[in-house]
Amino acid sequence: MLTLHQAGLTAVPAIAPLDGTIRPGELLAIVGPNGAGKSTLLSMLSGFRPAEQGELRLDGTPLPDWPIAELANRRALVAQQELPGFDWQTDELLSLGSNPAKSLVAALLDDLDLTHLAKRSVLSLSGGERQRVMIARGACQLLSRGSPTAKDGGLLLLDEPTSALDIGQQQRLMRQLRAWAEQHRMAIVCVLHDLNLASTYADRVWLLHQGQRIDHGLPNQVLNPATIAKIYAAELQLLEGSSHGKHLLALAP
Amino acid sequence: MIAILNAYRFRARLPINRAARVLVGLTAALLLALGWSAASGALGISPWGLLSGQADPLSVQVWWQLRLPRLLLGVAVGAMLAGSGAAMQGLFRNPLADPTLLGLASGAGLFVAVWIVLFQDSGAGSLYGQFAAGFLGALCVCLIVFGIAKRQGGGSAAVMTLLLAGLAINTLAGAGGGVLAFIASDEQLRQLSLWGMGTLTNALWRTTALALVLIAIALWLLMRSARELDLLQLGESTAHAAGLDAARLKRRVVVATSLGVGLCVALTGVIGFLGLLVPHCLRLWLGPGHRLLLPASMLGGALLLVVADTLARTVAAPAEIPVGLLTSLLGGPYFLYLLMRRNRAC
Repeated sequence: MLTLHQAGLTAVPAIAPLDGTIRPGELLAIVGPNGAGKSTLLSMLSGFRPAEQGELRLDGTPLPDWPIAELANRRALVAQQELPGFDWQTDELLSLGSNPAKSLVAALLDDLDLTHLAKRSVLSLSGGERQRVMIARGACQLLSRGSPTAKDGGLLLLDEPTSALDIGQQQRLMRQLRAWAEQHRMAIVCVLHDLNLASTYADRVWLLHQGQRIDHGLPNQVLNPATIAKIYAAELQLLEGSSHGKHLLALAP
Repeated sequence: MIAILNAYRFRARLPINRAARVLVGLTAALLLALGWSAASGALGISPWGLLSGQADPLSVQVWWQLRLPRLLLGVAVGAMLAGSGAAMQGLFRNPLADPTLLGLASGAGLFVAVWIVLFQDSGAGSLYGQFAAGFLGALCVCLIVFGIAKRQGGGSAAVMTLLLAGLAINTLAGAGGGVLAFIASDEQLRQLSLWGMGTLTNALWRTTALALVLIAIALWLLMRSARELDLLQLGESTAHAAGLDAARLKRRVVVATSLGVGLCVALTGVIGFLGLLVPHCLRLWLGPGHRLLLPASMLGGALLLVVADTLARTVAAPAEIPVGLLTSLLGGPYFLYLLMRRNRAC
């Protein structure tokens, strides 16, 4: 469990102080326009950019007090796509940073539809395939190194995990994230651009604008057409009446 | 060797994996090359003759005082250049990175040139002076590069800044070298240009012994960084979340590399392409994991330099080709061929 107490960043890009709790088993979406500070916030949540005001606590211990190696057992980050400079094999890349059991690697490859690529070089994969490999690696880090005393599956931070995926893969990934959250009691935070993905799959949403979290709560409340239209400076229409009761937003022609 | 190990494995049921086989194979090849190199040269000396005490005193003298330190220096310099190349490539996540890229080699080179032209007398201390100058040069560049990197903090901008700083230092050192060549005497100019081509002829016990110890320390520091270099390949923020202290890793690799490379340059001049070529070829064969790549590169670099140096001093014996010319002549075209053949990074 990650808790924020008036945590913020003062240096540019800044994040206005915010409170919050990210609980095991939930999927939290961070949304907002370009330059709202989503990736910066994620970087603060991971401890890569330490909070300059307030504090963040993971499992009750302030983030800076965690030894860097132990922290890696409890939270993983999948940053936006960076091309690995060298020719790793998919299953080797998955094992970087942890020492996973073969069965875990196989299960994760299967979860993200990557089994047929296990022995391929990651540089030969498509952008979407590579993105799924990196997400599987993040999950692998948490699941293989989770400390035996932990009651939950740790914290998985994903920066735009669907940016290179087709809609079928987007659906499979988001469903898989929900499954991991439930099975392993993992807390998952996703920066998402697609508001409808956030609305359909997230338990809660944080809406960011110019470094400030201007709203948070259930997707249907936060992602209402009036607020979104204003913040994104877009014309929208609400598609209601979908079978699962989630609000969906579409661009007006 | 491998067959023996395999037989041993079946009997003892020891898990001897691919990594061990590769390293044992490379070590065996290096030992063979050393044996060949020890026996060949302007003065043919049989190792058996030496061992059995039947060799004439002159041969014994030449072997112990000239050839053995030269062999050891070849091993150390080859291992250091190739090992630091592999580590730098990992640190910058770029298969074309190299200690020369950071300006370490040229910084060391400039200091040595300053020593030769401005301070060197014909006294007995001249070799130590050259040695210390190279050491100091690499250290200075290291501190400058570090000062710049520290101000930048972490992040990907820091790597770019490091590369640009290296570029500036290389240019500056090149200009400084030009000025020195302009004011140097004919004798100094000849010394500068011979040394600049890279040669192992300076191998004498009094300098080699210290160099061996210091290079061994640098190599050990690099070896300790292998797992962390693997992690760094995930990108800095992801690697941090996976448990990597990137600042400490950078510090260790840069210090080890600058000390080792500064020493190599002071002793042997610039021996090109080892740091680029050896890790590159081995990565194609062994994959990018540093726990195998680093020691394999060290062994491979030592092997290549020992072979090249033996050729350099035997092909036109009793004259001697600077080994740096030879490695560049052999390595350059091969590297260009690799670049043209491969259409993707590494």
